[in-house]
Amino acid sequence: MATNLFSWIKQSVFGKISCKKCLELLELITDNEASSEEEKRFREHINACLPCYESFNLEKSIKEMLQTKLEKKQVPEDLIESIKLKIRNHT
Amino acid sequence: MSIEKIKQNYSNLEKEGIFEKEFLPHINPMYNFAYRLTYDDDDAKDLVQETYLKAFRFLNSFQQGTNAKAWLFRILKNSFINDFRKKSKQPPKIDYQEVETYYNSDNVDVSMTTDLRVETVQHMIGDEVSNALNALDVDFRTVIILCDLEGFTYEEMSKILDIPIGTIRSRLHRARNLLKEKLHEYAKSMGFNK
Repeated sequence: MATNLFSWIKQSVFGKISCKKCLELLELITDNEASSEEEKRFREHINACLPCYESFNLEKSIKEMLQTKLEKKQVPEDLIESIKLKIRNHT
Repeated sequence: MSIEKIKQNYSNLEKEGIFEKEFLPHINPMYNFAYRLTYDDDDAKDLVQETYLKAFRFLNSFQQGTNAKAWLFRILKNSFINDFRKKSKQPPKIDYQEVETYYNSDNVDVSMTTDLRVETVQHMIGDEVSNALNALDVDFRTVIILCDLEGFTYEEMSKILDIPIGTIRSRLHRARNLLKEKLHEYAKSMGFNK
């Protein structure tokens, strides 16, 4: 009885998924690979669970860091010309 | 996207058109991918050139209007494995058994994420991020580049790397944890973290 009550309270506070399930979904959500139902359950959970919310923020910030802070090299112009020349000689 | 082996029969003019409009626009991400695999400007140039020449030679295997970027990345990755990796004599270092066991087990790694803080990540500068990524084994580095930098889906990555989606997910998971470890080590050495 007490266990049932506890799980009912837990479910109504943290949503329908556990922290373990939430962490499993973390990367799917960050990578835009989760279904809308998974995303909904995930959001419900992190709205109430601070450690999972923090894990999600960390995952997102690492992805953003990779996208914004790594140097994007410009391809050397002579490479494009050299490829085009080789193709032209081939045809 | 399609990497099927349906043979097309393009005229020379059509081939040049596809090459110009569908292949060349991806040369910047291709060059960056090649550079992050080889760490060398000249090797990256050679790898990109070889990839484009191969793509042109096998253009009849490409279906116009399908995912050219994924097709090119796949050729580049194979050229790297077949030619460049042999040259550098680097044996594959991944313990795949360990990776699969790790991912399929019930132990979801929570502790790893608590060691690193969002603020620390936000204060990292380009060179630190680059060093952390470069410290990863090439197979781990590759999935992070394809997913986080180039935005490929798991399905596209599965076709580019010729591995099942489950393995993509487990490799990505492991790669990200290793990256977090590297970032955490760096932050600790600079006194940013506990």
